[in-house]
Amino acid sequence: MTLLDFARGPALQAALIIFVLGAVWRIVGALTAPWRLVPANPREGALSPAVAALKGVFVKMWPHKPFQQAGLFTFVNGYVFHFGLAIVVLLFTPHILFIKGLTGLNWPGLPSNLIYMVAVITGASLIAGLVHRLRSPVLQLISRNDDYLSWLLTFLPVVTGLLATSHLGARYETLLALHILSICAFLIWFPFGKLMHAFLFVFSRGMTGVRMGQRGAEL
Amino acid sequence: MTAKTTAAGVPYDVQGEMSDSERRDAAMRGFVREFGAVAAAHLESCVRCGMCAEACHFYISTGEPAYTPINKLQPFEQAYHRHAGPFAPIYRLLGIVPSVTIETLEEWERLIFDACTLCGRCTLACPMGIDIADLIKKARHGMFKAGLVPDRLQLMDRTARAWGSPATPADDFADIIRDTGEQFGVTMNIDLEKADYLLTVAPAELTDHTKALADAAKVFNKAGLSWTYHTEGFEASNIGYLNGDIDLQETMTRKIIDTAVRIGAHTLVLPECGHAYGAARWEAGRWYGDKLPVRIIHMTEFLQEVVASRKIKLNRVGQSASFHDPCQLVRRGGVMQAPRDVLKALGFEIKELENHGALSWCCGGGGGVVSNSRADPIRYKAFELKQREVDAAGADRFVTACGQCRITLTLGAKHFKWDRKVENLLELVADNLAD
Amino acid sequence: MQRSQTLGEILDSRGVSRRAFLKYASYVSALMALPAGSAAAMAEGLAAARRQSVIWLSFQECTGCTESLTRSFSPTLESLIFDFISLDYHHTLQAASGEAAEKARETAMAENKGKYIVVVDGAVSTKDGGLYSTIAGVANVDMLRASVKDALAVIAVGTCAAFGGIPKARPNPTGAAPVDEIVTDKPVINIPGCPPIPEAMAGVISYLVSFGKLPELDDLRRPKAFFGETIHDRCYRRPFYERGLFADGFDDAGARQGYCLYKVGCKGPVTYNSCATLKWNGGVSFPIQSGHGCLGCSEPDFWDQGGFYRPLSTSLRDLGPALAGAAVAGAALGAGAAWASRRHQAAYVKEQAASEGGKK
Repeated sequence: MTLLDFARGPALQAALIIFVLGAVWRIVGALTAPWRLVPANPREGALSPAVAALKGVFVKMWPHKPFQQAGLFTFVNGYVFHFGLAIVVLLFTPHILFIKGLTGLNWPGLPSNLIYMVAVITGASLIAGLVHRLRSPVLQLISRNDDYLSWLLTFLPVVTGLLATSHLGARYETLLALHILSICAFLIWFPFGKLMHAFLFVFSRGMTGVRMGQRGAEL
Repeated sequence: MTAKTTAAGVPYDVQGEMSDSERRDAAMRGFVREFGAVAAAHLESCVRCGMCAEACHFYISTGEPAYTPINKLQPFEQAYHRHAGPFAPIYRLLGIVPSVTIETLEEWERLIFDACTLCGRCTLACPMGIDIADLIKKARHGMFKAGLVPDRLQLMDRTARAWGSPATPADDFADIIRDTGEQFGVTMNIDLEKADYLLTVAPAELTDHTKALADAAKVFNKAGLSWTYHTEGFEASNIGYLNGDIDLQETMTRKIIDTAVRIGAHTLVLPECGHAYGAARWEAGRWYGDKLPVRIIHMTEFLQEVVASRKIKLNRVGQSASFHDPCQLVRRGGVMQAPRDVLKALGFEIKELENHGALSWCCGGGGGVVSNSRADPIRYKAFELKQREVDAAGADRFVTACGQCRITLTLGAKHFKWDRKVENLLELVADNLAD
Repeated sequence: MQRSQTLGEILDSRGVSRRAFLKYASYVSALMALPAGSAAAMAEGLAAARRQSVIWLSFQECTGCTESLTRSFSPTLESLIFDFISLDYHHTLQAASGEAAEKARETAMAENKGKYIVVVDGAVSTKDGGLYSTIAGVANVDMLRASVKDALAVIAVGTCAAFGGIPKARPNPTGAAPVDEIVTDKPVINIPGCPPIPEAMAGVISYLVSFGKLPELDDLRRPKAFFGETIHDRCYRRPFYERGLFADGFDDAGARQGYCLYKVGCKGPVTYNSCATLKWNGGVSFPIQSGHGCLGCSEPDFWDQGGFYRPLSTSLRDLGPALAGAAVAGAALGAGAAWASRRHQAAYVKEQAASEGGKK
C-alpha cells in the first residue's frame, strides 16, 4: 500500500469517522444537558425566541462600532482566513469532488489558479494571526495548547495543498498523500478543540440572542 | 472573615470555617449546579480571540491582561470541562483536566468580584455571542458557597439576611418614610392594605439620599395613583444577586413580589437601581416561571409612562444634558429609550456621550464593586473613561437613573476633584413638576 | 546468423544503411533525453556490440506486452530490436515447442553465462509453490529463479511483471508477485504499463546493449527517461485543469470541448509515464486525447484504486454507512455523557446539601 493509498483509504476513513462521532458527541452532549435557562416574562413587543436567536446569529457577524478600531486586526484577519478557507475548501474542484463523494452534493468550482492565490492569502492571514497571538499580552495570557494545535492543523492543509499543486519538495503523489493526511489530522482534532466553534457558534449566539431579545436589549 | 494574600501577593478574603479541600469542593459544587446547555454552548464556543478585552473598562483603563473578561472565567471553565462537559467522563478518567485548586480560586476571587461589574459590555463584543457577564454571575454562586467573597460584600450579605436590607432594619423602614415625608413636606403612603402600585427602594435612599423617597412619592401623588411603600417588601436592591448568594436572592425577590401580590398591586415599581431591575425583572422567573404574577417596571419606565399618558406635566428646563446609561437597565435591561424620552419632556437637549446606549461604559461600580473597597484603585481608573467622555460631550447637566451609578460617579468626581454633579432622573422630574 | 558477428556487420549484410542506423540511435537517445553526442556513442556501441542473448519468460500475462512490442508502429524499429538481440526463448514467438523449446532456453543460458538478459512479462504465482502457473511442468517461480541465476540483468516488462498487475489485484488468488520480489540478487529494471510503451522497451534494451549498463532508475526501478514525469504535467489538457474547466461525463459539453477529465477519474496527476509525450501508434494519440481519463496503468496496484472513474481527490472507500454509524454512535455517546453529567451534578449537589445539613 502506498502512502497515497493509505491516506485516501484507511486514514481518511478513520479520520472522518472520528470527526463525525466526536462532533455529534460534543454537540449532543452539550445541548442535551438540562438547559437551566432562566425563564423571563418577555418585554411587550419583544422578538419571538426564534427570531431573536436568528438575529443573534447574524448581528454578531460584525462588531459594534466601539470595538471596530481596537479589534480591527482580529475581525478583519479573521474574516480573511475564514473566507479564504471557505473558498479553497468549497470551490476547488478536487475538493468539491471529495465532498460530492461523501454527500452526493455537487456545484461548480473556481479556476485552480484563483484558488492557489486565495490559498496563499489564507496562509499569510493565518501566519499573521499566529504572530498576533504570540505578540499580544492578552492573547498570550488566554491562549492554550488547543489554540496553537488548532492553528497548526488548519495551517498544514493549506501549506501541503499549495506544495502539492506546485509540486514543490517531493513527488506529487507524496505531497498529495501528505495533504490528505494533514486533513485527516485536522478532522481528528476538530471535535475536541476550539475548531468546533464552527458548529457551536450558532447555539452560543442564538442563546444570547434569545436572552437579550426577550429583554428588548441590543445584541 | 479574614483578609489574606496569595503567594503571588493577590489579596483575597475568606469566610467560614472550612479546610482548603472543603472550600474547594464547595466552590466546585456551586459551579457544577450552574452547568446546563446554556453555559455549555457558551463555554464550548470560545476561540480565544481576545475581543472581550477591548470591551472591558478595567482592561482598557489599566492595560492589565488579567482583566480580559474570558480570563476571569478560567476556574469556572475548568470546572465545567472536568465535571459537566460532553467529554467530562473521559477528562476525569484520564486526568486531562485537573480539579481546580484552592490557590486558583483564591487568586480568582479578585477577578470574579473586584474586576467585574457584570456590566455585559464584553457580551456585546464577543463574536461567538458568549454571555460572559452571565457566566461570571454564575461563577459567583460557587465562590459564595465556598466563602470566597470580598469581606465587604459578605458583610452586606449578612446585614441583608438579618435586616431584610443592607441599609436599615425593616423595623425602622416605616419611621424613615414618615420622617422623610415630614422633612420634605410630602404625603407618604406606608403599609396600605390595598394599592395599585407597590413602590420599592434602594439602600442609599434609606440613608444619604432620602430625598429620592420623597421625590417618588411626589410624582405618584401628582399623577393621582393608588400606591404605597410596604414594610414587608421594600428593599429592591438584591445583594444576593450581586454576591452569588442565590438563597438570599430568592428571599429578596419573593419579599417584594409576594407583597405586591398580597396588596393587590398590578405593578411593582423598582427604584432607580440597575441591579434591582436585573434581579426582579429578569431573574424572578427562576422562582415564578415566565409568567410573573405582577408587572415589574423600573422607575424610569414608570416616569416615561406617566409623562407619555400626561398624568404629570413637566416644566422645561431648557439646558443640555448627557445621560449615563446604567448597564443593568439599558445594556442588560433593554430600557434605552425611556430615560431619553423623559429628558426630552424636561426640555433637555441630549448630548450623547461617545459610548452611549447599549455600548455605554460602565460607571465602574456595578456588580457590588463600589461597595468593595478593595477595588477602589481600578474603579477610579475606570471612572476616568467616563469622565473623559462627559467632558467631551460638554453638556450642562449629567444625569443617570441608578443610585449605584450615581454613588460611583460621585465618588469618582470627589476623588479626582472633578467639578460635575451627578443627578438622578427621578429627582429632575420631581423638581420640575408643573401644575 | 553468426553470433560472433557484430551488429554493425549483421545490419550491413542485411542492407540497413548506416544512415538508418544512426537515425535509430539518435531517436532512442533523444527519447531517453541522453546528452548530445550520446547518439553517436550509442550508434558506435550498438554497431560494435555482439547480438545480445535474451530469454523472454511469459508468466501470468495476457501477451499484450508482446503484442505492444511486436506491433509497434515502426517496422524499422521492430526489426531493429529483433536484430539487436538474439531472442533465444519466447513461447509466443519461437517456432520450437515442447522439449525443444525448453532445451533452447537451457542452451542459451549455458552459452551466455553471466551475459544474457532475462525479460519477464506477467506476474509470478507464488501461492502453494506456484502451482497455479506452470510451463512444461515447472512452476513459473522456479523457472524464474533458475533462469536468472547467471543473468546479467532482468527486465520486468509490463505492470504485471513490474508490480504484480492484474493477477495481483484483490483478492490475488494465485499469490501473484512482481519479479523484483523474487529476484533480489540481480539488477531488475521495471518497464510498467498495461502495455508498456514500445519505445520504452526498445529504448531500454538499446541502452543496455550499447552501453552495457542500466539506465538511471527511480525508486520503483523504472527508467527515469520514460517515467520521470506525470501524465498530468505533460497533458495537453492541463490548461483546462488550471482554468477549472472539466468534463462531467463522457458525453457532455465539457467532454466535447476536450476539457480536463479529472472529474471523471483521470489518474494522470499520479501516473508516471510518457503517454502524453510519446503517445501511441506512432504518435497518433493516447487515452486522454481519445477522451478517456488515464487509468494509471503503469502504477502499482492501479486495479485497486477504487474504480477508474472515481476522482483522485475522493476517499477510496464508501463511507456512507460508516459515517451514519459514527453519527448514531456519537449521538448515543453525547446523550450518555450528558446523562452521566446530570448524575454527576446531582450527586455533587446532594453531597453539598448533606454537608450543609450536617453543619446545621
